[in-house]
Amino acid sequence: MGTGAEGAAEAETLELLPVGTLPGGALDELAARLSRHVELPVRALPPSPALGVVRLAGRDQLDANALLLALEARATTPRRLLVGVTADDIAIPIFTFVFGLARQGGRAAVVSLARTDPRFYGLPADADLQGGRVIAEVLHELGHLATLEHCANRACLMSFAGNVERVDVRGRRFCPDCSARLPSWLRGRRAPPEMV
Amino acid sequence: MSALRILIVDDETIVRDSLGAWFRQDGHQAEVAENAKEALRLVAQSHYDIALLDIKMPGMDGLELQDRLAAADPDLTIILMTAYASVETAVKAMKAGAYDYIVKPFDPDDLSMLIRRAAEHRSLRAENLRLKKSLETVAAPPPLLGDSAVMKHVLELVGTVSASDATVLITGESGTGKEVVARAIHAASARRYNPMVVVNCGALPEGILESELFGHEAGSFTGARARHKGKFESAEGGTVFLDEIGEVTPKVQVELLRVIEEKLVTRLGGTAPIAVDFRTIAATNRDLQAAVRAGSFREDLFWRLNVVNIHIPPLRERPEDIPVLAEHFLARFAQAMNRRPMRFSPGTKDALAAYPWPGNVRELQNAIERAVVVGHGETVEPSALPLHVIQAPAGPGPGSLAEAERAHIQSVLDASGWNITRAARVLDVDRVTLYSKIRKYELKKPDDGNGS
Repeated sequence: MGTGAEGAAEAETLELLPVGTLPGGALDELAARLSRHVELPVRALPPSPALGVVRLAGRDQLDANALLLALEARATTPRRLLVGVTADDIAIPIFTFVFGLARQGGRAAVVSLARTDPRFYGLPADADLQGGRVIAEVLHELGHLATLEHCANRACLMSFAGNVERVDVRGRRFCPDCSARLPSWLRGRRAPPEMV
Repeated sequence: MSALRILIVDDETIVRDSLGAWFRQDGHQAEVAENAKEALRLVAQSHYDIALLDIKMPGMDGLELQDRLAAADPDLTIILMTAYASVETAVKAMKAGAYDYIVKPFDPDDLSMLIRRAAEHRSLRAENLRLKKSLETVAAPPPLLGDSAVMKHVLELVGTVSASDATVLITGESGTGKEVVARAIHAASARRYNPMVVVNCGALPEGILESELFGHEAGSFTGARARHKGKFESAEGGTVFLDEIGEVTPKVQVELLRVIEEKLVTRLGGTAPIAVDFRTIAATNRDLQAAVRAGSFREDLFWRLNVVNIHIPPLRERPEDIPVLAEHFLARFAQAMNRRPMRFSPGTKDALAAYPWPGNVRELQNAIERAVVVGHGETVEPSALPLHVIQAPAGPGPGSLAEAERAHIQSVLDASGWNITRAARVLDVDRVTLYSKIRKYELKKPDDGNGS
């Protein structure tokens, strides 16, 4: 388990760990885009075969809870945050799916690319659209690591999105109230034009 | 949506933990129980807004737990969860009062919407209760008061008939409080949130009364420029109070009988009957049975109205009610006129008790209102009462009713300096009626020199 608010507040590095196989160059591209949003060095880690993944019985999905526990077990280095990134669809047993998962105040999070891809919904591929969605999801989970809960302001990045349309219409910025509670590295930069 | 207190009851740890964390992330307070026993213990200890119950649990299942939780906290909104989509179970759950039913695994959006809807439902229900309470306060009928055995019997009857939809005929002299009793019945009945529509049948000519009662279509008679809903339609779901029913003409009696029996109204000039849902309460100061014998009132209508009869005796037959009524009016008028709490002097109490109150409770009410207006200080002295009240002869009053009426009108006129408008108000009759009584009893102003 993380060290609470201090974990995110004192973070010095953000590491992205591939879970399973990702499309070529996807993690580096995500790291590069993410560095434009956070004032922390963002590093793409090599794959780690040792990371145990569990599939949910009878469902073609990874168990996000089990994955998060495995990532948290690895995120023991102080001042480092770890985000697992998978191309697989993820879920927790009680929900049909989740876009990502993080424990408030923790040091690790997991994000799935599956439902951010327009092809999941039978639409043509759109790298920019998907890239924006993934960044939004990662920033949302980082907000949870910084102890933020969901925000009632539906224009805030911390508002709950239960479908991809909500992810798209939800603002790409933290509202002033949430922003005030974020560590400086997460609120320090404005979203670039393609995010707005 | 403000933060909710949510209880999650499921025998699976993963479900409890996942949902608990999800709700907490959403800003709610979530607590978990792994079985029905634990859930009942938690609900007995503290308040929750919403409970999510798994239907299939070892021991007591979700449906049985739902019943017990609803009994422990009727305000709790219950949502059932199951891994098996079964219409039969869903119907059973909803019939038992569950707010909704959700199938595992949930779409996150569906759960979010469900919780949002449940919160709105709770908020609307709370608002509705609050409004009903304020409505009950604002629209509360004047209380039915009385220490006498006869009034206690009336109160009992009011309580009994309120629970039913039976037609009620209230009889009693003018001013005894027949409308107050009707309002008390309506206010205590299941129809209380719907209108109570009062029709003074004695005050309107036949044609206008028909139009008022049954409505009319545009152009149905000269002057009927627009469609007009009648009182029965306006009272939909509520109560129609037909005051002075004894004054209704034979033609309207026939029409009333049909509407009351069939619950169908046809507007004047209209052809299609309209179904209406109302309760009938009628009142009269006349002896309707005598009117039936005399042939001026239809017997079938009389029996249709007289399902339950409540007779309110005149105030002179229940003098023990005078103090409690007088105190009630004194407090009410003092408050309405922003006066300090007032009390009666012993002399005033004696005067109130000695007077026969031929105008009944309404006359007493008017006398107390006058006393509050003209009285000074916190004690009502006899001088604040109308002259005819304090000058009333002690002991038994005049012999016949006509003699009592004559004497009473004379004293009211004298007390008001023969101001007809004021005297008519005290007597609660219109000026035309008062003039006709003056003629009938050959009453004269004292300074006319002719005596009386």
